[in-house]
Amino acid sequence: MSGFKNVAVVACAQTELRTAWSSAQHVDLISSTVSNLLKGSGVRLPDVDFVIDSGSDVLDGRSISNCGFLGAMGAHHKEESRVEEDGLWAAVYGATKIAAGAAEIGLIIAYSKPSESDPSLFYSSQVEPFYQRPVGFDHLAASGIQAQQYLLQGGGREADFAKVTARAWKRASANPLVQVEAILSEDEIAASAHVAPPLRGAMMSRPLDGCVAILLASRNVADRISPRPAWITGMGSAMDNHAFAVRKPGRLEACEAAAKAAYRRSGIDPAKASLAEVSGSSAAGELMVLEALGLSRRGQGFEAYEGATAINLSGGALPADPIMATGLVRLAEAYRQLSQPADHGLSSPDTAIVHATGGVGMQTHCVVTLGV
Amino acid sequence: MLQAPDSYPIDRPPLKSTLSMPYTLTPGRAAGVFLAETKNRRLVGSRCGSSGLVCVPAQDFCPSSGGADMELVAAPHTGAITGFTQTRAGIIATIRIDGADFDFVHRIVGAEFAALKVGMRVEAVWAQTPTQSIMDIEGFRPAPDAPVGTIEPLGEAAEPLPMKPYHMDLHYEHAFGPFYGRMFDEIGTNRRLMGVRSTHIDGALLPPREVDDISYTKTGTWVTVPDTGTVRAMSVIHLEFKGQKEPPPYIYAEIQLDGAVTRLIHSIKGIDMSRASELVKPGTRVRAVWSDARTGSLSDISHFQPIPDDVEPTST
Amino acid sequence: MSRHVGIVGVGQTHHSRRRTDVSQAGLVREAVDRALADAKLTIDEIDSIVVATGPVLFGAVNMPEKWVIDACGGRMKPVVRITSGGGTGLAGALAAYYQIAGGQHERVLVVAYDKLSEGALQYSISTLYDPFWGREFAVGIMGFSAAYWRARMDILGHTEEAAAMVSVKNHTNALKNPYAHVKKAITVDDVMKSRPLAWPIKLLDVPPISDGAAAIVLSSEKMAAKSTDRPAWILGIGYFCEADNAAARSMLVSEPLALAARRIYRAAGITNPRRQFDVVEVQEPYTCFELSYYESLGLCAPGEAAALIASGATQIDGDIPVNPSGGCMGANPIGAAGLVRLIEAAAQVMGKAGEHQIPNAKLALAQSGGGWANLRGVAVVSA
Repeated sequence: MSGFKNVAVVACAQTELRTAWSSAQHVDLISSTVSNLLKGSGVRLPDVDFVIDSGSDVLDGRSISNCGFLGAMGAHHKEESRVEEDGLWAAVYGATKIAAGAAEIGLIIAYSKPSESDPSLFYSSQVEPFYQRPVGFDHLAASGIQAQQYLLQGGGREADFAKVTARAWKRASANPLVQVEAILSEDEIAASAHVAPPLRGAMMSRPLDGCVAILLASRNVADRISPRPAWITGMGSAMDNHAFAVRKPGRLEACEAAAKAAYRRSGIDPAKASLAEVSGSSAAGELMVLEALGLSRRGQGFEAYEGATAINLSGGALPADPIMATGLVRLAEAYRQLSQPADHGLSSPDTAIVHATGGVGMQTHCVVTLGV
Repeated sequence: MLQAPDSYPIDRPPLKSTLSMPYTLTPGRAAGVFLAETKNRRLVGSRCGSSGLVCVPAQDFCPSSGGADMELVAAPHTGAITGFTQTRAGIIATIRIDGADFDFVHRIVGAEFAALKVGMRVEAVWAQTPTQSIMDIEGFRPAPDAPVGTIEPLGEAAEPLPMKPYHMDLHYEHAFGPFYGRMFDEIGTNRRLMGVRSTHIDGALLPPREVDDISYTKTGTWVTVPDTGTVRAMSVIHLEFKGQKEPPPYIYAEIQLDGAVTRLIHSIKGIDMSRASELVKPGTRVRAVWSDARTGSLSDISHFQPIPDDVEPTST
Repeated sequence: MSRHVGIVGVGQTHHSRRRTDVSQAGLVREAVDRALADAKLTIDEIDSIVVATGPVLFGAVNMPEKWVIDACGGRMKPVVRITSGGGTGLAGALAAYYQIAGGQHERVLVVAYDKLSEGALQYSISTLYDPFWGREFAVGIMGFSAAYWRARMDILGHTEEAAAMVSVKNHTNALKNPYAHVKKAITVDDVMKSRPLAWPIKLLDVPPISDGAAAIVLSSEKMAAKSTDRPAWILGIGYFCEADNAAARSMLVSEPLALAARRIYRAAGITNPRRQFDVVEVQEPYTCFELSYYESLGLCAPGEAAALIASGATQIDGDIPVNPSGGCMGANPIGAAGLVRLIEAAAQVMGKAGEHQIPNAKLALAQSGGGWANLRGVAVVSA
């Protein structure tokens, strides 16, 4: 295995992802996740050198919201930083800290409770306030236009959107960590109302409440914590223009750039990866991500599901999008699949591609590759 | 076994909270001129000196080269649809204004969604009453025969709009969770202040929580603490600001209730405010004055007031 | 393992009470242009960008890095935003430091800003408080800052007069700082007689509300020479926290700051900060904090801060000058303030601090922090 192999994922814990954790507040979800993480790992909190967390002030309804959650996170008197982006970026930050030799064990936490507010405001408030926001341009509009342009320019097929969605929900229903009340059939999805044509309601990712935490460890200690550490072999991220209308239509250039950086570092050929956990904010978005990651040909995103790489065995982000935690959940899922392959119907997986996205119309992307 | 978050059924409705934030936003030169010129029904774009590329609406920085040498130009009111969708906000489209190198996001008006096609020619529809907003263009309507316009020099232009009022309302419904839920139930129903035992030092943590911040082990049993305590820190508030609950002057205090190892934030009243800084100081003993309301929140305590000649209990 | 990281370019805006000529994005661009010019680089030579701002409610744009990126010319680069209240600028530099030290990137641009004139400062920052527990009593960060000062006053002797001396010193120093916008010579008497806002905090204990941005370029050792033959090397940088409502939380000493200082001094070989540092830059949201920092940073023993300021040692010509730039009293664009402190410390050891240059400064300390006075960082830079 190539790549830098200095840092590994050695443990993860997660709450169930639910439409609403109305019985718990943020600190309850966080402290319970972190406690469960430590309990299973053999690591004591004093052994943890730093905490990096992801959450959003706008979603939380508090300014500097990490400030009030430090005790629950186990961060008291530790080095702590808040990355106000999906938790996969927090994991990347943590990995650089361990790679620099400054720490042995890092705790990465991400959470969201979109049920406490209107998550559409979380996105529309990201839009620049002079030209785009007053027009009503938001995440939904961006996703709809993006899907249309994908069909026109990228060569994708509209019928695939319902197929992708149905597949994701079916997978999620088998995932004990995702609350699924009813599985939608492909026909039901294809018949559901448009929210941003060509996208229909079920084709947008579903915001859920939840918290996830992972432990990262250095080469010196990883093997002592996990029987099967998942080494971080490559990391890359890239952001596209804010102005949606100037982005290249029909493809995700920033995702391509992030993947290229991660693959260059790890030396992996994406076509040979054992598994991938990716975050699409819509059915079209998931297909575009698969193409940008090199898991299928351009315009043929759906063929990725039929290839050698196991794609989103967890169900991915469409049925379960805990906004700031979605990408870190992907990392946790990939770790579980690599470390307990039999539970996921895998034989001997050795490489994983993990992807996260953020912003209106998936403006920014992060790719991490893992190897065991 | 950790109990939260699924331990106690909480039937308290969530805490409603609204953040209602006023702003005055500065658009900067390009957007500022654009917004100032809509009253003249001029569509302002910008051309980058280094890349030669034209943006409509005008940007201060070239989306391609990042260049800042932007010349403002007058753009035609016509263009073609490059992409579109329909949301609750209406039909939203990307439009390539004639002569521009980048698209413009706006609404399509005066057309059925089903009739739209990429490539369709459109023209701007101006609002009757300008408001120095992008919505001074109501949207773009189909104009199949509109001639192709060209980018022209802007010539004399209005001064950029220096600032624009804006308002953002964010609404929340915060779940109480089992620990805060029980504490506020006890306050509302039984007029009783309860915390949980710290597993770091001897005493009660308020608000209660599942895990002690310092020992990071599960906290202990619930304990009732009296509604008396000691001021640990205080300030006399004279500042007035938006969102303030009561008119100044008043005393902001951090009070350690007897038996607690954390501080509670509240106000202190019932004193001569002209001598506030003498009468209330770290060490001053205070007691809660309960209000008649039973809302199950900290406001069920109207305020705290000093207890003359009282002495802090020795054991905390 | 860890690679050396240096600051090779710095830039900041001329801070002001209100900039109506630029948007938030335009403000950011000014600082970026200055930092890149100082580092003799173009944006194309930057591998990654870290954006740091204060709470997003200050500015009406959520995740504003995704907006200002267009103004940075940072398309297709890795961009991440770090937030940590008032200390976010230093927290951003810390993240960038590890991107280089950990071998991920060679050159990283850090940009920090706030355009405070655009929002309602006290109201928006009051949302720091727990909505269930105390928010209705919040007075921004001023309420608890004043209250904690009151707690230190009797026990540690941090008197109103001592804080007034800090105000006078920093206001005087700001007169020499071209980027400061409060240029006012004041006396201790002026401070003492100024209007109480949250007593003991009075008007002249409080820094201005500012629009401003700051940027730095961090570089690996390998790539630094292109920019300068005299980088400011980062000998140590760290950012620690404490739980805001933990059992028996101290108001007398900033434990996370003392912890950060202890760790970073060890990394940087500092055993006697008062003697070893040539200059110190601290982020004082109110004058009372500077007194407290003297003690937590080990510039004097607990209880001796008032004597230290009175002795003149922390004046610009003293033996341990603190805030020769004027600190936050000259300008306080909150999200940028922590990075401005690091820039000022770096400029001192790079020998380009201009009129407020401390002669032959070789080793400098920068301090920053935010939140509920529970997020605290330090950095040590050397020539």
